[in-house]
Amino acid sequence: MLDQIVNSLKERKDLAGWTVRHIITRGAQVYAVPQQVEARRTVTGERYRIDVLRQTSGLDGNAAMGSGDATILPGGDISTSIEKAVLVASLVSNPVHTLPGPASIPDVQLIDTDLQSDSATVTMDAMDRIRTAASKNPDVGLTAAECFGETHTTHLVNSRGMDAEQEATEINIEFVLHSQRGETEVETFREMSARRVADLNIEDEISKRGRHTLDLFEATTAPSWQGPVVLRDDVLATFITSGILQTLGSAGSKYAKISPWEIGKSVFRSEVKGEPLTVWANRCIPFGTNSSRFDEEGVPAQRLPLVRENELVNFWASQRYADYLDFPATGAFGGVEIAPGTSPATALLAEPHAEIIQFSWFNPDTITGDFATEIRLGYLIQDGKRIPFRGGQLVGNYLDALANAHWSAETGFFGNYLGPHTIRLNDIKIAGLAG
Amino acid sequence: MTELKLPPDMAELRPVLGEIIAQKQKEAPHFTILLSSKQGLRITIDNREERVVEGAPSAGTVLSAFDGQTIYERAIGGFRRDEIQKTANELVREANFSDYTSPEESPRKGGFATVMQIDPAELSAQEKLDRCRELHRRVKGRDPRIVNTQVIYIESGEYSVFASPHADLAQRLQRLNLFLVIIVAGENGQIQYDYKSKSGGAGWEVLDFTDEEIQQLIDNAIALLGAERIEPGEYQIIAAPGVSGTICHESFGHGVETDMFLKQRARAAYFIDRTVGSSLVNIVDDPSTAGGYGSYFFDDEGRMSTPTQIVENGIFKRGITDLYSATALSIPRSANGRRQDYSRKAYARMSNTYFEAGTSTLNEMLAQVDQGVYLDKWSSGMEDPQGWGIQVTCHYGHEIKGGRVTDRIFAPIGISGYVPDVLQSITAVGKEWWLEAGNCGKGHKETVPVSSGGPHLLLKARLG
Repeated sequence: MLDQIVNSLKERKDLAGWTVRHIITRGAQVYAVPQQVEARRTVTGERYRIDVLRQTSGLDGNAAMGSGDATILPGGDISTSIEKAVLVASLVSNPVHTLPGPASIPDVQLIDTDLQSDSATVTMDAMDRIRTAASKNPDVGLTAAECFGETHTTHLVNSRGMDAEQEATEINIEFVLHSQRGETEVETFREMSARRVADLNIEDEISKRGRHTLDLFEATTAPSWQGPVVLRDDVLATFITSGILQTLGSAGSKYAKISPWEIGKSVFRSEVKGEPLTVWANRCIPFGTNSSRFDEEGVPAQRLPLVRENELVNFWASQRYADYLDFPATGAFGGVEIAPGTSPATALLAEPHAEIIQFSWFNPDTITGDFATEIRLGYLIQDGKRIPFRGGQLVGNYLDALANAHWSAETGFFGNYLGPHTIRLNDIKIAGLAG
Repeated sequence: MTELKLPPDMAELRPVLGEIIAQKQKEAPHFTILLSSKQGLRITIDNREERVVEGAPSAGTVLSAFDGQTIYERAIGGFRRDEIQKTANELVREANFSDYTSPEESPRKGGFATVMQIDPAELSAQEKLDRCRELHRRVKGRDPRIVNTQVIYIESGEYSVFASPHADLAQRLQRLNLFLVIIVAGENGQIQYDYKSKSGGAGWEVLDFTDEEIQQLIDNAIALLGAERIEPGEYQIIAAPGVSGTICHESFGHGVETDMFLKQRARAAYFIDRTVGSSLVNIVDDPSTAGGYGSYFFDDEGRMSTPTQIVENGIFKRGITDLYSATALSIPRSANGRRQDYSRKAYARMSNTYFEAGTSTLNEMLAQVDQGVYLDKWSSGMEDPQGWGIQVTCHYGHEIKGGRVTDRIFAPIGISGYVPDVLQSITAVGKEWWLEAGNCGKGHKETVPVSSGGPHLLLKARLG
């Protein structure tokens, strides 16, 4: 059917360009409640996504470009769908932009071969590992778990001669650990994503989260705190990848005048008191959850220097916005990579400090960078004690926080983030519930 | 009355589903089929660009069989009869389903469609684009600090057919959302914005913006350039209806989804028939609300929509269910078994969830506040059914001083606290009442359209 669609598009003389993506998804899902499997599912899906460009004219009579799209299911009506996409493309008049041409596509590692060949068995195995690992801690029970394993195959063909395929696997798990003492109940909810099962470290994660769950019994109400706050591992990855670098570093945001960032200027609005920040938008991270060989337009993956020692060096740009702004087309953002710091992680843990273990949902304003987010579990570390607390909010601004931070020299890989595994935000506020 | 016109491939299959179910009923007495097709359109206009993009479509068939312990499902893309038949044959061989018989259900049959005055299906893409352009044009030239104005139109259409030994149901749901976003820049390059949306499970008739609303939006965005961070602490607050709705949604919405009871994740499980808030608190989930963004005629497990009184006069009465949790917990079902799309399982999910209206006017409520904060607009929320913590983030709020809302503005503002304390602190409930549209996740996935709302509420909570 792909050939039929391509041939139909080739016959259209009124198009300035077109892209077709044939997308196939197959996977398995398993859901557990206490003592039993709640549901087992297999899922398949297949579709053809068409994007077309058509020359139009602007209000001033100058050449302009319109774009339209349509999705066809197997057996669907090709000519009607193409006509619909072309009609939509004729309605709008944007600056002229193009499609990516043929280019060398890097070989990015995206596949777990076991998951690719048998997602049902792999997801059941992952569920068994979760249940076995949880059963090792008699003080904590597993009350819910979900495992999703999927393989996505994409074949992209465009009018400029690009013809590329990629396949990627993905496993997503979540689990809930629960404990009860008298009338007091506590829980930890954790979700994890990876391209391959080996990156999930299920047993270690459940062991660690089991300890955190039990610490919740001892947790005090959150203190009011202004000072150093440490984030490590997955919670640091959550903080870093929360969307601000992606929004403000985007050519689309620059074009829409949402981003005040300028190439060659500091990305910070305040004086940098901590270590300099260097960031790559990296779609080549092996087994990165945001990695790909090529993106939705077909732009090949790259490791793009975004910020070098606090200064913006590039915007990431789709082909459309690259053409609008005369930037290089870099394609989708991918994962965040940050340069290692200079301090050993142990030095960043100097007392006193607070450490956040889990946010309720770190969801900053991606334009202003402001946040006020609830803390599910944290520790206050001072006077040789590590006291758990819960509730309260971490309050601040993402960019101001990074402008006064120290990063560990040691790095780690966390799916969509590659970089220092520890950060010390030197001066940030916890709006506490006590004190 | 809008007519239900199923897409041809779904219409063709609908009569056949009963045959397939009848074939399989001996091997799997609880055997159901759901056909689900979702499609949409997104128009974005700003000062520099226009885009008309198809909403990510999904279309597929879910075959389900239940053995009383585990639900087995096959979700297949598209609506091909031969594939559905083949998959049904495979599914019933996957386990022994014959020993489980689900409780007696009343037969139900029918076709339903969202009531609309201006059906988007009757408008061309050009007409919709022109309407969006017109709204965009109305903002032009109003203030030099506006660096961009975005109009975002989101149209979501859904067709579903549900078949079981007891049901032959079909529905068309239409949801519309029109956002107006004003982006302004300050002298130092600072960027701020404000937004407002019009929405509903309805047609274009609900998408009008008045000139006053547009000007208010611009004034708010400009005021935000001078916003302060609030000093953390406990405040007397008045929550606008949208903020009230988000508090409701995160507390006694997610907190009473009974799959969370089953997973020992919801403290509310121990509070049935117990006081959880002030006697002024009444909370309802109602998928049958006319025009609600979260409305539907039947859920994805074939249950006809009816309202559920969750909290009555401060007392928690019952939760909202999906098939599995209702069966496992031996509790009555409600019509809240919903899927993100055919590729996902059904969970107990909210629809239109709200505090019921009270008797106070906003001025009467303001008169009770000497020093406090009026929370104008929510931006996000997160549930904590086990810990009963609240996290609701507001885009901004205004100072209340001496019973009046001042120009002093705080942004963003996080609301936190312990759910029963917050609900117990409610001392006045407003008359004005409305719902606001949103998308709700289970954790961070499984998105479904919902609305949340209520009246103004006067209460106390921690802000930060």
